[in-house]
Amino acid sequence: MQFFDKTNIDFVAKRKILLTVSLSTIVFGLILAFVFPPKFGIDFTGGTEVGIKFEKTMSTSELRTAVSEIGFESSEIKTFGAEGSFLIRIADSDNAPELLKSGLNNKFADNPHVVLKVDKIGPKIGNEMRSQAFLAILFSAIVILLYLAFRFEFSFGLAALVALVHDIMVTFLIVIIFQKTGIFSLEIDQTILAAMLTVVGYSINDTVIIFDRVRENRDLMKGKSLVSIFNRSINETLSRSVNTTLTTEIVLLVLLFFGGPTLEGFAFTMFVGFIVGTYSSIFIATPFALWYFNNVKKIDVGENDMKTATA
Amino acid sequence: MKSKIGKIALIVIPIIAAIFALYPSYNYSQLESKRAEYLQRASQAANPADSLAIMNEFKKNYGQEYQSAKENSLQLGLDLKGGMYVTMEVDVVKLLRETAQKEAIDETFDRVLEATEKESQTSDESVVDIFARKFNEIAKPEGKSLISYFDLGDISNATEEGILEELTNNADGAINQAQEVIRQRIDKYGVSEPNIQKQGSRRILLELPGVTDESQIRSLLETTARLEFKLVRSNAALVQSFQKIDNMLAEKQGNKPISANATQTDSAKVTEQEVPAPSPSTEISSTEAADENKDVVEVADTNDTQEETKKDTTNPYEGLSETDAQNLYASKHPFTRMFATFWVGDNKNGQMQPVSYDISSFPQQGNYYFRIHEDSLAKLKIMLTDPKIKSLLPFDTELAFQAKSEATESEKITGQFLDFYGLKSEPELTGDVIIDAGKNVDPTTNSWVVNMSMNSDGSEKWASITGANVGKRIAIVLDGNVYSAPNVNSKISGGSSQISGMANAKEASLLEIVLKAGALKAPVKIIEEKVVGASLGDDSIASGINSTLFAFGLVVLFMMLYYSRAGLVADISLLINILVIFTILASLGGTLSLPGIAGIVLTLGMAVDANILIFERVREELNKGRSIRSAIDEGFSKAMSAIFDSNITTFMTGLILYYVGTGLIRGFALTLMIGILSTLFTAIMVSRSLIELQLSDGKNPSFSFGQSKNS
Repeated sequence: MQFFDKTNIDFVAKRKILLTVSLSTIVFGLILAFVFPPKFGIDFTGGTEVGIKFEKTMSTSELRTAVSEIGFESSEIKTFGAEGSFLIRIADSDNAPELLKSGLNNKFADNPHVVLKVDKIGPKIGNEMRSQAFLAILFSAIVILLYLAFRFEFSFGLAALVALVHDIMVTFLIVIIFQKTGIFSLEIDQTILAAMLTVVGYSINDTVIIFDRVRENRDLMKGKSLVSIFNRSINETLSRSVNTTLTTEIVLLVLLFFGGPTLEGFAFTMFVGFIVGTYSSIFIATPFALWYFNNVKKIDVGENDMKTATA
Repeated sequence: MKSKIGKIALIVIPIIAAIFALYPSYNYSQLESKRAEYLQRASQAANPADSLAIMNEFKKNYGQEYQSAKENSLQLGLDLKGGMYVTMEVDVVKLLRETAQKEAIDETFDRVLEATEKESQTSDESVVDIFARKFNEIAKPEGKSLISYFDLGDISNATEEGILEELTNNADGAINQAQEVIRQRIDKYGVSEPNIQKQGSRRILLELPGVTDESQIRSLLETTARLEFKLVRSNAALVQSFQKIDNMLAEKQGNKPISANATQTDSAKVTEQEVPAPSPSTEISSTEAADENKDVVEVADTNDTQEETKKDTTNPYEGLSETDAQNLYASKHPFTRMFATFWVGDNKNGQMQPVSYDISSFPQQGNYYFRIHEDSLAKLKIMLTDPKIKSLLPFDTELAFQAKSEATESEKITGQFLDFYGLKSEPELTGDVIIDAGKNVDPTTNSWVVNMSMNSDGSEKWASITGANVGKRIAIVLDGNVYSAPNVNSKISGGSSQISGMANAKEASLLEIVLKAGALKAPVKIIEEKVVGASLGDDSIASGINSTLFAFGLVVLFMMLYYSRAGLVADISLLINILVIFTILASLGGTLSLPGIAGIVLTLGMAVDANILIFERVREELNKGRSIRSAIDEGFSKAMSAIFDSNITTFMTGLILYYVGTGLIRGFALTLMIGILSTLFTAIMVSRSLIELQLSDGKNPSFSFGQSKNS
């Protein structure tokens, strides 16, 4: 079987359209994020969350009434995986989970429940998580830039970093957009953060493989223009990029639909991120490297419209 | 064909290693279900003694095997097996308030503390630093100085910097003693396999498998401990009362021979093992006293450390075999056979002598020592709850046990011996009189000592207590556990005391921590708690296993369809890859958690990447018209740099995640990194060996990479 047989697509030429797509997604997402701020999980905000499973099914509104009658007016309730399972976020107090449990036992004496989980997180932990997340992404970016600058050259490292920033932003914004639709449980929490960081690793992985081919082809194709070298390299690695993304995405789809409610956000973020990562390696990292060669290093890349490309 | 053997080894060795590394996990799950059976039986037993006997039977039959399987098996994280996860932090603000002089606290100081509290809620900065800053902002303009609020005893320290340093030390010390107290309480509560560790300088992380009652645990964790000094009353009266208990129980047993049978099993452990004699070498003396009697008593005669039963060879046992004699003694002494009793005369250099309860009169002078194996402890404690037994103990006397220390490697198998004491119920003094305590090396004896100083009120009482009890022992009791019972050498006036005879630095620092518990009341609060119900854990395991298998199946299918025979090779190395990941995880003593499973599933997807890179490259070379063999050589070597660089960068991300992240994220990062390493091994080495083994058969090798035939 073979999906691509000696392709010769001019990827570099298509960069303008796709750059517009990327930029508009970013702009749209940013506007959305500012108008409707994304929802953070209690990992980051602090708070108390109780996961409860009732023996018989129950509507969310019925449960909401009951919970506010127990005394937690400002609670948030959402379904959690299976039928009759709910995640209830309540105002924090010393023994809030116990109050809730005994209250629910009284209200629904004929529909017993089991507690699936209780998470109580102080505001300080939430704050630390946020700074941890920021540090983790920053460190990763720096280390990766240094490594690529050492293994390839500085411009490649920079291009990979630009693609990386693109991936983080686009993935994050797509997650926020989907958060609004409510299809998946997508509160920004620790697991989504871990997923984002894996996307960072994966995106770099993908970019490195194309650049590795460029490095090789530059020796083989002496005298050819940089644009054609880049184009050839992308075409040669296309089969691999698609196949790897395919196998990984198969796995992630399985996790998304069968991995249980705890892993939903994790799998979704990676699913989006891996597609974005593959896309950006081809349409962001490579054009940026070309633009850098042309405009900063003043090397003729073999094409005249480079100046307007990413300016 | 030497290289052929090497290639086969490359494939077979990981599989054998996996079998060895993963067998304990399998064995553990088998034994675990056996243990559940026993537990079931134990919970149905008529009385606590019988259920204990049933559990001891399990321990006797499978104990060692169970223990070693448990230690070597792949542990499941709390999110998979259910349990409670708690993060605690020293409440430094509360500590500051308690350390300040009560009469000096005013409205300004309260405001400073309030501001400190507020900022510390969301800041990572050291609370003492925040306090110093807030103090400068709020209290300084009002002309206040730290010196007016804190009196830390030492005048030379009375600079602001000195006070702040002392406060920081206090905060650091508080975490140690909180950890010790929590460890003891959790142990008593009966959580199996708790994990208690310090994180940073002021946090304690607890993992309590199987616990779901948060409110009970919370009260257990947040109650402050009480330090007391109690007089030791391990005297002849106590030993006589033990004998009375023996007689009462033996009589009862004579009427009901069935129960003797039920309790038979658990005596085995005690009599099988030699009970080492305790070394009563700790002493307490005034630091101002002359040094003459500081020489520490060593218990010289090790021959004395024999079983109590062997010693007495008087009439009743004559003509009996050793076992029969032991059995007779055991049936005559159902209570005292559970522990060993030793006696030492008042003479300080006297020898430890085992005490037999067959004799009718006990020496009135001297000290008695009791020592029990931890396996018999539960039974003894159950017996002591019996009001009939309780009533036989001397008036105003309670039994208190030595605090269990963290088990050493050998003790994990043999168990610990614990000393226990008869104590006067009423404490002589409570720990709040202690100002400070610190360990030190005594230059004259070169051994560890612990110094402790008391406030003036305490010193006065201490002088009269020690004065009235020279030659006797005073137990240091924290939270009901005895940490030390030093002998009083002389009357201690002036409030400075020294406890000598510590076996090592560890023992000394533990005592220091305990004594400091009196000086500062280690307030800790829970800042994070997570409870995972067992049913969610089971669901997670099920969905984890299902999705892994399902994803694995799909990837295998795709690779076979796309890359034909080469795809099959990739699939086999993928299988070996998973085995290797579990092997490494098990041998690192790692814990498998839900994010860990996610990491493994993700590795499944990415592991084939390396193979895809190689196979695509081989196809390219084949298209160029190379022979199959040279195409394979070229393909592998040319794909190497891409595989190497891409995996290194992903590995670095994993490394950063591991160091920056906590809890969940760490588990994920660890499996991701292990996955990358094993992927590099299997995708490159194993799959190449597999391909070459197939090529080496036949002269005109053919091997399909699923390439299109026309090219």
